[in-house]
Amino acid sequence: MPLISLENLTKQYRDGVTALDQLTLDIEPGIVGLVGANGAGKSTLLKLLLGLIEPTSGTARVMGLDVRRNGPAVRQTVGYMPEHDCLPPDASATDFVGHMARMSGLPRSAARERTAEVLRHVGLYEERYRAIGGYSTGMKQRVKLAQALVHDPRLLLLDEPTNGLDPAGRDEMLELVRRTGAEFGIAVVLASHLLGEIERVCDFLVAIDAGRLLRAAPLGTFTERTGVLAVEVETGSDALAAALTGRELDVVVDGRWVLVAFDGERTYDLVRDAVAELDLSLVRLEQRRHALEDLFRDEVPAA
Amino acid sequence: MSVSPGAPADRSTTAQVRASGPGGSIYDLGYQGYEGPRLGREAAIRALFWHTVRSCYGIGRGGRAKIVPFVLAGLAVLPAVVGVGIAAIAAQSGQVGDVLGSNSPIRYATYHGLVSTLVMLFCAAQAPELLGRDQRFGVLPVYFSRALARIDYAVAKVLGLAASLLAMVIAPYAVLFVGRVLVAPDPVEGLAEELPSLFPLIAQALLTSGLLAAIAMAIAAFTPRRAYATVGIIAAFLIPSIVVALVVGMLSGSIADWIVLMSPVDVLDGTNATLFRASADSQAVSASNFNGLVFVATALVGIAVAVAVTIRRYLRIAA
Repeated sequence: MPLISLENLTKQYRDGVTALDQLTLDIEPGIVGLVGANGAGKSTLLKLLLGLIEPTSGTARVMGLDVRRNGPAVRQTVGYMPEHDCLPPDASATDFVGHMARMSGLPRSAARERTAEVLRHVGLYEERYRAIGGYSTGMKQRVKLAQALVHDPRLLLLDEPTNGLDPAGRDEMLELVRRTGAEFGIAVVLASHLLGEIERVCDFLVAIDAGRLLRAAPLGTFTERTGVLAVEVETGSDALAAALTGRELDVVVDGRWVLVAFDGERTYDLVRDAVAELDLSLVRLEQRRHALEDLFRDEVPAA
Repeated sequence: MSVSPGAPADRSTTAQVRASGPGGSIYDLGYQGYEGPRLGREAAIRALFWHTVRSCYGIGRGGRAKIVPFVLAGLAVLPAVVGVGIAAIAAQSGQVGDVLGSNSPIRYATYHGLVSTLVMLFCAAQAPELLGRDQRFGVLPVYFSRALARIDYAVAKVLGLAASLLAMVIAPYAVLFVGRVLVAPDPVEGLAEELPSLFPLIAQALLTSGLLAAIAMAIAAFTPRRAYATVGIIAAFLIPSIVVALVVGMLSGSIADWIVLMSPVDVLDGTNATLFRASADSQAVSASNFNGLVFVATALVGIAVAVAVTIRRYLRIAA
């Protein structure tokens, strides 16, 4: 049974915007990256999975349960970290997280123990009795993660967990997410518009764009298949592109760059031969590091 | 040093700093899963109800949050305590006075008039905080993504305020009741004499706390801004009663009668007069030709409508 199962899931907002368009998808347990540009429908999908909003049509199942019909039962074992601020500044982290544990159905004593446990897990221990209003952004993000984890969910939905964090804070948050997913066996869906983050933490990737599924696959196959060799030449990029197309490679011209769909080692040879034949001056030849980004540039050829 | 992945570390292991930065340090003592009971939706509703009651009286918050509710509740009990105290002194000095008797201002039937303003102030002070805070700081998605449903949140909060008001209304009644029994020459006889008042006391307390809580929450549900909600609640209680007083002075007959039912303050005055078989404070209520039960029915309908409005709001609010 898949962890999450979507069938023709569609969400159209009242103003006519279609946030999700006939999304059909099965997601297995693991650390799943949900990637897409701002407005691609990531937050909408997470909210639909929680029953925070109603789908226009289609069904969403989490752990086999229909979200619309079994909302409270599903949410009892799901944790959600919203994208935006969700913390009352006058409450302390202990009070807030403890209260939210009880809102998930934990008994009073268990709620207290879990709160201490989970705040320690996210690295808030000394500060937990202070009012949240005085916390740094990094500490607030940790409280948000803690309230999502306090009831020991089977599934954790994180919406842009590194929002507003500095690089060090980002690293720590991602490490926390990775450990939570990898070491504690909690399935994670991490929504982010930053591919770098997804690459570092996730082992499965779901890419959506304008509410449609671009691709869902293990991270490895993703980078492999979308590998792009970028060739920079001083002049004659169009001629090079034509020559490479003639050698049965998919290419796109981007100014002085020629982007070539990477097709194994022989791609290098073909590019070298073409450049030599045309007598062009080759400036650079590199395999794109963030190859994932090319998913969202429709001019790039699919390999 | 590192903790082996996969195996949760023993609790007794010394804390190890895994990562640190400006936000603090992460001490790894190993993550423990939770294998205990998950009590689900009903337990969450109960917990939110009690959390609301505690918030109403500022329990679990700073000392300043306790000032307003406790001063108001204290003022509500004060006349009863003073009345019973004087009656007790009078009884001890052998004067079989009539301190709590039919001419006293401190009786079951008159007590509603003494405290209803305090109850409304309590609503105006606490209802906006109970609902507006979660809207203002975006906490609703965190609630609605848990074992609770949206309707549960609304119901638990309204019931929480109603229960807090009930405590405030019923405490002085209880003081009066116990005081009258003890001050009576023969407590057993006194108890027998007081028992018939128990039903109207409880009924009036329930109607007052229920209607005022429901209306206050229905207004507070629509704005995250505390000040707007407070003004709105006071206006909802005050303006209709002023309008009713003006209209009844100008015209009489069935139109005036029906208009009286638009004012929560007058309706509760009517239920009080009906339940205790006493005269009403409001001229409009005394002048109306209704059977007293119409006021009781109106109060019940008012509670139902206001609660429905609040629930509807929470079913639709963005989260």
